[in-house]
Amino acid sequence: MTETIDVGLTGVVGPLGRVVATERKPNTPHEFHFWTALDSPVGIGTIVRVEGDQPVNGQIPEIYGIVVEGFSYTDLATPLHDVLGHDGTPGGASLAATHRAEIRLYTAAVLRQMPEEPLQPVPMGRVYLATNDDVAVALRMDGYLRGEDSTGIPVGVYRAGGTDAPIYLDADFLIGPEAAHLNITGVSGLATKTSAIEWILSSIFAHFPEKKGSVAALCFNVKGPDLCFLDQPGPIDEADKTLYEKCGVPAGPFEHVQYFAPYKPDGFSLNTLRSNEQLLGNVSSLTWGLREVLQYAEVLLNKDDVDAKADALIDFIRERVVDRDFSDALLGNKSYRVRSFADLEEWFKDVLSAMETRGNEGWRTHHVATIRKVRNRLSNISTRCAGLVTDDGGVSDLPFGSFQDRTVYVIDVASLEEAAQDLIFARVVTKLREHLEKRDLGVNHVIVFVDELNKYAPNDGPETYVRKMLLDLAERGRYLGLVLFSAQQFRSQVHRRVVGNSGTALYGRMDPDELATPGYSVLSPAVKTKLATLEKGQLMVRHPHFTQPIFVRFPRPAVMRGRDGAERYPQAVDVELDAAVLRSLRTLDPSLTLGWVRDTIGIREDEEVIRARNATLRERPADVKKFFQSQLRPVAVTHTPVRPMAPAIRSAPTDDPYGF
Amino acid sequence: MSANQPSSLTATQADASFRAAVRLLASLMPDAAIATGAEPPLESLAQATEPPRTVGAIIIEDAAMRVHRVFEPPVAQFAAFLDGTQASRTLYSCDDGTPIVHGTAAAVIRERRNKRLYTRRHIVEHRLYANRRRVPKGVWTLLVETGLELRDTAEEDGDGPHPFVGRDAAIHRLQRDRENAEHALAKEWCQREDQPLLIDGGISGIESVARSSCAVGVIKSHRTLYAEGDALITIFALRRGERSSVFRVASERRTPVASWYLRLRDRAGTDPMWGLVRVEVAHPDRVDERAIGARADEVSRWILAEATPVSLPDGRWDKMVYGVRDCEEFLRAVI
Repeated sequence: MTETIDVGLTGVVGPLGRVVATERKPNTPHEFHFWTALDSPVGIGTIVRVEGDQPVNGQIPEIYGIVVEGFSYTDLATPLHDVLGHDGTPGGASLAATHRAEIRLYTAAVLRQMPEEPLQPVPMGRVYLATNDDVAVALRMDGYLRGEDSTGIPVGVYRAGGTDAPIYLDADFLIGPEAAHLNITGVSGLATKTSAIEWILSSIFAHFPEKKGSVAALCFNVKGPDLCFLDQPGPIDEADKTLYEKCGVPAGPFEHVQYFAPYKPDGFSLNTLRSNEQLLGNVSSLTWGLREVLQYAEVLLNKDDVDAKADALIDFIRERVVDRDFSDALLGNKSYRVRSFADLEEWFKDVLSAMETRGNEGWRTHHVATIRKVRNRLSNISTRCAGLVTDDGGVSDLPFGSFQDRTVYVIDVASLEEAAQDLIFARVVTKLREHLEKRDLGVNHVIVFVDELNKYAPNDGPETYVRKMLLDLAERGRYLGLVLFSAQQFRSQVHRRVVGNSGTALYGRMDPDELATPGYSVLSPAVKTKLATLEKGQLMVRHPHFTQPIFVRFPRPAVMRGRDGAERYPQAVDVELDAAVLRSLRTLDPSLTLGWVRDTIGIREDEEVIRARNATLRERPADVKKFFQSQLRPVAVTHTPVRPMAPAIRSAPTDDPYGF
Repeated sequence: MSANQPSSLTATQADASFRAAVRLLASLMPDAAIATGAEPPLESLAQATEPPRTVGAIIIEDAAMRVHRVFEPPVAQFAAFLDGTQASRTLYSCDDGTPIVHGTAAAVIRERRNKRLYTRRHIVEHRLYANRRRVPKGVWTLLVETGLELRDTAEEDGDGPHPFVGRDAAIHRLQRDRENAEHALAKEWCQREDQPLLIDGGISGIESVARSSCAVGVIKSHRTLYAEGDALITIFALRRGERSSVFRVASERRTPVASWYLRLRDRAGTDPMWGLVRVEVAHPDRVDERAIGARADEVSRWILAEATPVSLPDGRWDKMVYGVRDCEEFLRAVI
């Protein structure tokens, strides 16, 4: 007997299955069934290739599919027969001389048919495990992996049987302009969401085509130390190194990272877990003054606060008062230049005082009650956002206009009040958009990463400014190069338009309750089961080019995990003002000493010292000492006046009759 | 036309299946009423012709038929299982009712490796069966033109005009073809292998197999019982794991074999033959009572080991070993 070896069209040895169809379970153009040997490496998520038996238009049809369901059964008509066969003794099963005939039957969803026309039901044929080349064709990656013109961004490695194929996303559909945005869902605690984002950012920085321009990432660190150590190396094992090599991504931490964090309410200690002195070199403060905040007043003031009348007054202040010379007859034509919350408070005080004195109920169409209300709300902002918003108008901001290519900018908002978080998000994203519109940001594309999206863009609840911004970003950002990478635990609880506009969706291990929601009804029970039991480092990927979700493995990010970083670089303890100033200025000049700072500060007020420190950090002068000193008001030298000694009064003669 | 290949039909070979034959004949006889394919197999319509009977047998183990307990535990020793099947349908009826029958005979050996059964070799043969004397010349010529192998059933068929006569003759001829296929596989096994082969049915039909030490026949049907009187009562009284004394089965046209009854399962209900099988092995050249008894015990242990897994949902599961059911399932899939 001559044994023939079936090598298929692509030379792969041996088919692993055969397509089957029955009247009750027919094949369609989008789904087919096949059986395999019991020991075949096929599982849920495996990509297979079918070679038809009959040519269509002179070409043997090839169909690519991904396994979405599996069945196994024997020739038993009812379980009772097996019970009878073993006299009700389960242990007897091992004594059976023969295993029952058993089938492994799989259902696969069609990824692609070649030729693509005419689109026919999947024919009978042999089923082969997909090779690397097959995977590229099946997922239509062959369309954008074209040598130097490649726009592929590796998202992970597909593994099945002996196949180990990198899976690429199309940069045109991930960063724009064709489609954009990425959303990742998964249960908390498995380090999947943050790790996946870190990995994909590394991959983008390594593979984003230069001809498409520059790209930077802006991450909001919303919880714990998650993103606080992106520039520090973390341990990875050999398996991860292999994945990095396979995907052509350097296995190292991010080379360029800039951190930004507001101060604590004390105004001089950075409000971040990355406050260890050894890591302060690339940490900058984030502080805004009245002008920066007033533009986003509606972020901080809810609708009950800001009715039409209040809104009109805020507009008036913004347009006519802030940063302008202002005078009014009511105020005795005194000239005002409002630059800070302190100036504004002074201005309010004078306006209200003048109205009371004159008994006026209104001023410039604004009722006194409205003025009082707006004063109350605006003054409150500097209290609610203390550390971020300065009374004195000092500004330390992101480097809008000089963003660097392949750089990660992290804003640590983890320890801030919700209102302050919202304010930061609203202002930063607005500024990014403004600069990208004017094309003067410094880079062509910015990826904005927002975690806990179900908090910022919930499906229900009141309309908030932040949600409106996220919707706008998701719907129009790709035209500008502003890309949203978002993450959440429950995708079903995020606004549909935000997740719906995400061209690429990643899924880590999912909560079964979440999988029971209608949004996942398109997935087969087996895929859902796989999603509910995914290991760390595995993802399900949906991408515009992939007609079905694909499972991939990705390596652990080569950066220090937040928890490890927090242990290795513990947060700096709160210190006195002089030590805090030293800590900040040492990032500019390591030769500074505490003694010099103390001598320089002397007895000056805290506000003045902080203002000088902020100005120094902002300007980053060559001579730190000199500049810092120049920012402090000179102190008059105290001279103790020396009183000339009065000549001693001559003592009266004892016999002087007029003496006393 | 016969298909005799290792394990699978290839597309390049002529398709001689029933449907293909229907299509072929319809193209040659466009106005004729050809079968639609919805007809049931003739085997399900034909009545068993062999009358039930009891036959006295020469007991070679004991002086009289008695019960032997198989004490040693069952042990799986069969390396393979052999079974055959047949299926026939009337393809066309001549004007006088003479049937032209399409018949398929098939047989398979399923070999056991690591507790799973794999096809070692199988035979599938498709033919047309008709009585040449009763088929109009023109039709016979057309049948020849189909290229399908034709079997003239005139030998089995009398000249009776009743269409059932022709039908039964075709079935009998097909039965012989099926037995030939089984014998071919059994003979090949016995020539090449020394491992035990369980054959569904008797082994006396072909001498080389009947004399082989590796062939064991297991008969499930008991239209002929090889015991009479008290011996029959003894056989019916067998309990699970018990066998009868060994006796000799011989007939003029068949090779003598040693045989005994074995109860695979305890009797349930009123059927005295529930779980009862008759076993055939090669007859020893020189009858040694102890040796033949030991051989019967040994083979009985092998067969008892095949009682699990049960062959449900087959209606004959009380007597059918799973390996034979597996052969039947395989043949059902390929014919």
